[in-house]
Amino acid sequence: MKCDIANRGLAGTGKRRIEWADNDMPVLQEVRRRFSKQKPLRGLRMSACLHITAETANLARALKAGGADIVLCASNPLSTQDDVSAALVKHYGIAVFARKGEDTKTFYKHVHAVLAHKPNITMDDGADLVTTILRNKKYAGLGENILGSMEETTTGVIRLRAMEKDGILRFPVIAVNDADTKHLFDNRYGTGQSTIDGIIRATDILLAGKNVVVAGYGWCGRGVAMRARGMGAHTIVTEVDPIRALEAAMDGFSVMPMIEAAKIGDLFVTLTGDKEVIRTEHFRAMKNGAMVCNSGHFDVEIDIPALKKLAKSVRKGVRAFVDEYVINKGKSIFLLG
Amino acid sequence: MDMSFATQALTSEFCVKKRGKLTSVVHDVPKKIDAWVATLKLKTMGIRIDTLTAAQKKYLTSWEEGT
Repeated sequence: MKCDIANRGLAGTGKRRIEWADNDMPVLQEVRRRFSKQKPLRGLRMSACLHITAETANLARALKAGGADIVLCASNPLSTQDDVSAALVKHYGIAVFARKGEDTKTFYKHVHAVLAHKPNITMDDGADLVTTILRNKKYAGLGENILGSMEETTTGVIRLRAMEKDGILRFPVIAVNDADTKHLFDNRYGTGQSTIDGIIRATDILLAGKNVVVAGYGWCGRGVAMRARGMGAHTIVTEVDPIRALEAAMDGFSVMPMIEAAKIGDLFVTLTGDKEVIRTEHFRAMKNGAMVCNSGHFDVEIDIPALKKLAKSVRKGVRAFVDEYVINKGKSIFLLG
Repeated sequence: MDMSFATQALTSEFCVKKRGKLTSVVHDVPKKIDAWVATLKLKTMGIRIDTLTAAQKKYLTSWEEGT
């Protein structure tokens, strides 16, 4: 089987983690049971560009049980779990092209590798496959074979709607993100929990009593704000949309412009889907020791180049996943991620 | 991720069933799939819910009654 993974030796751990995740996925189990009897995807070639995690592995198992010939690559090089890739290849016979921490060149090499599979169905988490197909002449013939393309995330759906508006889509796309059973749950409770979990693992800080600034009150922002409050943080929401801002205010959060929040925040989390939400003027206003992190899809919400420009020096890895940007003698800003 | 990945799998099946009938635009997940996923999730959590009585259903689709 053609594949590109980091270490086959990790397959045992990966298999145990996939099975553990499966225990908490009863709906997907039910789909897998029916698919393995009815084989609704028999003879179909599928390419998926998703986070390579234990949960995704169970999706791939269900699709394979349905008869699909599926290959996977990573939608985000940093979330790839190498043990899961190894288990998929070794124990489940599913080809994976993903290595944790792969550079941009390898990332695209892997995207092209799964497209060489000539899929009839694609799955994206951020529209990478669809964008690559539509941008490259060599995939001109591929569009006709594609019965449909699934999109998992908000950012991807926004991009695909822009493509639709420009009249360049050549096959149907399904906005899985917009299903109620997706965004009301994964985005709010899933991202809400995992963002707080990531922050605590990275920093070990006590959230109680801290000023936590949540940029964006979409479904992900709501989840993080709700959980931060539950941990005892004074939670502040920043928004650009008047309705969302009003909802945040009536949900009991403080709402203010980022430039005001910047002065008092201890921890900043961005979940907006837009770029430069925290930029030079905000870094300038921040307190010593302020921590900033992005939980949005792309790594653009915090203007990191601007932070680098402001900083006198950078101390990488003061803890795992934490970099210190020394602005001046009495002030540092910590970037997580 | 249980529900969204179940939806991914079921919409793949939907695309196969609708082969050649879907236009090249962004489609929503069919409401039936969404409802099926939510119903099954509730069932696996051991949660039961009410169903509308015939009289309630009629009330919701009428405009003459109750004003």
